[in-house]
Amino acid sequence: MSSSQIQELCIRLVEMGKKLGAADADAIAVCDTSESISVRHGQVESVEREDGRGIGLRAFVEQKNGLAFATASTSDLSDDGLKHLVEQVMTMARISAVDPDATPPSGGDHPENIDDTHAQADTWSREAAQQAALACEQAALAYSGDITNSEGAEAGFGTSEIAYASADGFAGGYTKSSAGMGVSVIAGTGAGMQRDYEFDRSHFPQELRDPKVLGQRAAERACRKLGAESITSRKATVVFEPRVAISLLGHLASAINGRSVMQQCSFLAEHSGQIIFPEWVNISDDPDHPEGLGNRPFDGEGTRTNARTIIEAGRLTGFLTDRYAAARLGIENTGHARRGLAGDISIGPNNLIWQPGRICVEDMLAEIGDGLWVTEMMGFGINGVTGDYSRGASGFLIESGKITRPVQEITIAGNLSDMFAGVAAAADDLTWFGTRAAPTLAISGMTVAGQ
Amino acid sequence: MLEAMVPAGADDADLYLQHSESESISMEEGMVKHVSASTHQGIGARVIKGEVSGHAFTDRFETPALMEAAHAARAIAKGADSGAPVAVHDTQQTQTLYQPKNPAQAASMPARREMLERLDGLARSIDPRVKQVFASVGSSFSNIHIVRMDGAHIHDARPLVRLNISVVVEQDGRRETGSAGGGGRFGLDRMLEGEEAERLTREAVRLALLNLDAIEAPAGPMPVVLGPGWPGILLHEAIGHGLEGDFNRKGTSAFAGRIGEQVAAKGVTVVDDGTIAERRGSLNTDDEGSETQRTVLIEDGVLTAYLQDRQNARLMGMEATGNGRRESYAHAVLPRMTNTFMLAGKDRPEDILASLDRGLYAVNFGGGQVDITSGKFVFTTSEAYLVEDGKIKAPVKGATLIGNGPDVLTRVSMIGNDLQLDPGVGTCGKEGQSVPVGVGLPTVKVDEIIVGGTQS
Repeated sequence: MSSSQIQELCIRLVEMGKKLGAADADAIAVCDTSESISVRHGQVESVEREDGRGIGLRAFVEQKNGLAFATASTSDLSDDGLKHLVEQVMTMARISAVDPDATPPSGGDHPENIDDTHAQADTWSREAAQQAALACEQAALAYSGDITNSEGAEAGFGTSEIAYASADGFAGGYTKSSAGMGVSVIAGTGAGMQRDYEFDRSHFPQELRDPKVLGQRAAERACRKLGAESITSRKATVVFEPRVAISLLGHLASAINGRSVMQQCSFLAEHSGQIIFPEWVNISDDPDHPEGLGNRPFDGEGTRTNARTIIEAGRLTGFLTDRYAAARLGIENTGHARRGLAGDISIGPNNLIWQPGRICVEDMLAEIGDGLWVTEMMGFGINGVTGDYSRGASGFLIESGKITRPVQEITIAGNLSDMFAGVAAAADDLTWFGTRAAPTLAISGMTVAGQ
Repeated sequence: MLEAMVPAGADDADLYLQHSESESISMEEGMVKHVSASTHQGIGARVIKGEVSGHAFTDRFETPALMEAAHAARAIAKGADSGAPVAVHDTQQTQTLYQPKNPAQAASMPARREMLERLDGLARSIDPRVKQVFASVGSSFSNIHIVRMDGAHIHDARPLVRLNISVVVEQDGRRETGSAGGGGRFGLDRMLEGEEAERLTREAVRLALLNLDAIEAPAGPMPVVLGPGWPGILLHEAIGHGLEGDFNRKGTSAFAGRIGEQVAAKGVTVVDDGTIAERRGSLNTDDEGSETQRTVLIEDGVLTAYLQDRQNARLMGMEATGNGRRESYAHAVLPRMTNTFMLAGKDRPEDILASLDRGLYAVNFGGGQVDITSGKFVFTTSEAYLVEDGKIKAPVKGATLIGNGPDVLTRVSMIGNDLQLDPGVGTCGKEGQSVPVGVGLPTVKVDEIIVGGTQS
């Protein structure tokens, strides 16, 4: 379905809701198509093709003492399916509780003109994707005699049409596309096996990195882990490679989520306007970045998106909000509503970027002297209320400014407040991973637990 | 559609039709804020030839879209159609592990709302330090039909419910959380009428208050006693994933080629059992139409079996074990766990704890993860105590435990007589797909595991 067709569908659904007595309503529709191919040991292993559509409606109803709402979604876009959806959501909204702070969608700050030129670019043929995946895996397998096995390589391409309409007459849509390629290989044998991977994501296949380079990087990563051992427990400076450094951006985004703040469930709830990082740290959110896969002209409530500095010279500028959290916190809405088809609205960033530093990684390691270089992390040991942090890790030991030997079966622990304040350096190697970009980061004073 | 989709020489092909309905209602800040429902339906087409598979997923039940999907799925094999007609016959289901009814029908929305309001009030009445209560109850009902190339037509109707409670407490400016949940494959009336919801609410408050007194967790290797029930996530991460057929066929698991070897201490027996009535991880039939079963993975310390779907079983010359699962019609089938647990031993739990000179007593956990190739796995405590001279000394903050899957079970030195299954909260992620699972464990002592606290 085209962008304009699903916009029409949203408008129709909102009208149906109003006819059944909704005081206000908005609808979102998504139409996805994607294709991917995976290869292993030089042979096609699987091909996948998907097309999916869905529509979600949020309706507000007037009750005795205020507004209440409910949401529902369906993938059945037949007339009967839509009728059922509207009836369902109206029934549910009538039994929902009145929220004195309810923020119905009408009257929001909507964008005027939406530039949807991205839709014009080329897609990927199955053959081209297959060739890329084969080249990627081949380069990995050929890299070294230590590469003993492959988990395969994968390449894929997909597009999504997203449309939104609200009862105040706003309707808009945009197209997102993404291409991805990745490979995972194994070095060593038996109990000494090590796996590592490399991947790249971009808007279009032409923008992806060279499959051969990707394959070689994955193989190099797996090989250099051979012989990894645990180390003794210690306090250390921990260096996060970009692909793990982006997780710190994720923890920051959760901690400044307006809903968590409003509910006093974030360790940063009282830190708006305060210095929480060293003064050279700058972090921004950009809804329209050439490399970001999180670009969007409006958020999940049809609110215009804007670029925003989140950390300015170490200072937390404020929180991310949707209309509801903004109203509750008494601050201006930042337009960060996220919305799936079903369920309630949540809050999240668009493209988060940790601005890089000026020194190269080698100089940074030399300055640190001794520490731990982390290249992979495992587990979910983060407490958003207290900031307590404890995760499994693997990587390399840094001794006298040089990377010396591979390390595994260790944990790194601390508290995010201390870790943010303890950021010691950022390198110049800003790297993008879809919707987040970070350079190599060093954090001092963490506890490493091992043998 | 199936006939149009099967090329000559195909080993297997199937269609997976799904219609699922889910509802959820949640409460925060003393108000029911979110009521939502969703309907999802579609069809997944799959063709398998040797190690190669073709998949197409669509939610358009229109002939052109379905034929397009059939065409896409068979693109893996060139050449003519098999031409063989598919004579579809209904396959009688012999297992009925749960009622084929939409759990939402058993309790009205207002009744669910009243329950959440009651739990919210209960949590706040237990202790004035309770500042926030989040409670939600959700249900889903999934109807699936599988039609295979061999003509088998299998139907299953799967109910699933889940209740979650989490609270935030505050004392002298320090805030902590605690959460608890439960559920299974039964009607929502069970959640509304029984004592379980109250018990879970009290549990969430207890955990949050306990955390107010938690001290820094220790850092380094030490003996750990795991409590019964949900700590069975150790088995799920440390060995369960490593025994899934796909990783072993490809030789990428640390357990590949090790059937018949001693991988755990004597006395350790681990099973995966998809046939326990009404459990969250149970299924009458897996997503390929194979009946679920009880599979002994480790018997008295010796590795005995892998978890198999049809494709990996065929390629390895083994039997499918009823573990072929998919998140929905729009996902590929993978070998996955159902309910995975260790059988009870003979030790009394109090004796196990008393044997701990200095170590950690870990009673409850959050999530975990594993690297199946290196075998390293982690799981994070949500209730744990520092123990000295066999006595509980103090609760400690959440810490990640890290170990090596292939040898952690060789360090099991005591096994309790108190096997428990988890309350019905597990969700397992693999290759971006989530499926409900169960775990279980008796109290167990592991002689050494690395604890990732901050106190060295």
